[in-house]
Amino acid sequence: MGALNNPVIAVIVSLIIAVGYFTMVDHYLMDMQGLDYWYLFRE
Amino acid sequence: MGLVARKKLFSIMALGAMVGLLLLPIVMALPSPAIGEEAPAVEAGQAGGGQKEGEGEKVEKGRDVYYKTEGIVAGAPAPKTTDGPADYPRYNFESRVLIWFANQQHLYYGSFVLAVPIFCMIIEFMGVVTKDKALAKKYDQLAYDFIKISLTAYSLTAVLGGILIFTFLTLYPAFFSYLSSIFRPVMHIYALMFVAESGTLYIYYYGWDKMKEGFLKWIHLSMSVILNIIGTLLMFLANSWIGFMMSPAGVDEQGRFLGNIWHVIHTALWNPLNLHRILGNMAFGGGVVAAYAAYKFLASKTDEERAHYDWMGYIAMALGVAFLIPLPFAGYWLMREVYAYRQQMGITLMGGLLAWLFIIQATMIGILFLSTNYYLWQAMGRMRGAEKYQRYIKYLVFLLACGYMVFITPHTMVMTPAELKAMGGQQHPVLGNYGVMSAKNGGINVIITTTVLSFVWYMRGNKVSTVSWAKFGNIFMGVFFACAYVNIIWLAIYGYYIPANVRVGLSVPQVATTLSCLFFMFALNSVMMRGAKQMGPIEWGKISARSQYALIMLATAFTWMMGLMGYIRSSVRLFWHVNEIMRDNSPWAYTHTVGFAANMISANVLFFWISILFVFWLGSLTAKKAPVEAKVGVPGAVPQPAGSH
Repeated sequence: MGALNNPVIAVIVSLIIAVGYFTMVDHYLMDMQGLDYWYLFRE
Repeated sequence: MGLVARKKLFSIMALGAMVGLLLLPIVMALPSPAIGEEAPAVEAGQAGGGQKEGEGEKVEKGRDVYYKTEGIVAGAPAPKTTDGPADYPRYNFESRVLIWFANQQHLYYGSFVLAVPIFCMIIEFMGVVTKDKALAKKYDQLAYDFIKISLTAYSLTAVLGGILIFTFLTLYPAFFSYLSSIFRPVMHIYALMFVAESGTLYIYYYGWDKMKEGFLKWIHLSMSVILNIIGTLLMFLANSWIGFMMSPAGVDEQGRFLGNIWHVIHTALWNPLNLHRILGNMAFGGGVVAAYAAYKFLASKTDEERAHYDWMGYIAMALGVAFLIPLPFAGYWLMREVYAYRQQMGITLMGGLLAWLFIIQATMIGILFLSTNYYLWQAMGRMRGAEKYQRYIKYLVFLLACGYMVFITPHTMVMTPAELKAMGGQQHPVLGNYGVMSAKNGGINVIITTTVLSFVWYMRGNKVSTVSWAKFGNIFMGVFFACAYVNIIWLAIYGYYIPANVRVGLSVPQVATTLSCLFFMFALNSVMMRGAKQMGPIEWGKISARSQYALIMLATAFTWMMGLMGYIRSSVRLFWHVNEIMRDNSPWAYTHTVGFAANMISANVLFFWISILFVFWLGSLTAKKAPVEAKVGVPGAVPQPAGSH
């Protein structure tokens, strides 16, 4: 827990969690509607 | 039998009676044994299929316009009206304006008296479960204040309901007769529910003092649950009428009832309307009570009174906004269902005849959120330690302003031919890009996320977290919000580069992003603030007068927006009383200009606020008679002894 209170580590860990979480939200919620979130990148 | 045991017995009996009243309409709706003999004969007729002779009687079948099922015709076709005194009797005035006024006033009061008991239930529950006795008493007093306001309004709602029915019978007899013939199987249920609602409300109100402690308090709280179930069911039934008018079901193409009342009630738009209305009523009710508290705050003569009404205004605002936040999402679902039901209806609403009203609606929604944020920033002034957030507020203003400007940008402009020529088309070359749903969804989600952030700051204003991971928690919260903004804006931009059928789905992750901030950040903040160091108490009553005007603004904007949305929803039927089933042949079967509609809505809002001020004044007469010790303090004010009501 002590390392997490280091601002640099805290920002990196937070970024990994937040970016990972929102990417999953975008992907799965589009997938649930039968739509492709990565449409533009696959074209 | 002791006094306490007798009270318990009576309270259980009263609760039992309320449950009985609630179940009575359901029992009434069951097939009566007296007519049970007839049922098999109809069944026999049904089994034959088509048009067939059953027991010597001709049975005609029809096809449900929505469910596409077959059913036995059990009603007359929708009348084909003509413009004349038989179908459209009138005074020397536009009948539609009269019915509009009667409907709107009844709806305002109906929404208010349905919402306030729900607040009351929540606050009374908070009082029951709070361990701090003084705070519990304060919650109880607040819940009582809420129900007291709604009681006078309840009588007025009933009076307005009566006026509405008389207006229908007088001005639109053919239409009203048809609608009541379709809903005949549930009309008595509606009436009984109304009786149940009145009975429960009065027992609940007058039993407050007698049932204020222990087991009896729980019984009293249960009564509020029953009261709200009845109120909600009443609203659902009323919603089924407007659902039927917009998206009829359970009838054939001639409008003949096919015997299945559930189909008539459960139309394509019923559930979205139910959700949208319940959230809207709650937000509206919170706004009105907050305005009441603001008015009392501004008129207060003592610090104690100011502290009490400041606290009341805050609680009402917080409850109202809690329901306002999901409201745009419920609205989005309703619109989706409208498009799914009839694409043309959706286009008329959002891309055609009524599109400019939606721009006004967006403006009003923006004002609601801007007022809420402004109030919260002002409210931080009453707590020591919240100064640290003041310098960041300008960034929130920037985010809100950007979101708001995108949200209210129209797709096409109303212009003179010369302006049109100068601009090279109806769409502005730059700003026109923001007038599409992809950008607007981004705009509103930025606004709501910023409101969530303001709430989080408010909640931690006078506190400093003492948990060992506080630094990480704060950084995580900041990063999470930043990523949420990036994701919302990214999805809004991404929508421009993919086809419409894929783009339409992007709103779901956008909404999920906003809701993630709401739930996760509120939860994280609560955990971090457990056992936090207080920089000082919240000094209730020490808030600027400007904040109270923001509350009044909030309530007025709610009222105006309700009037506007009601008009939009109703006028989307264009020249139909019942969409595609019963045509409106009165001289007023046309869509009014935006200016006329806006004036009419403003007149309705003005009348409502003048009349509700009268209701508040009546309430204040009762308060003056209450003993002085009945006033209970609020956190931060001078402690006072608890008294009765």
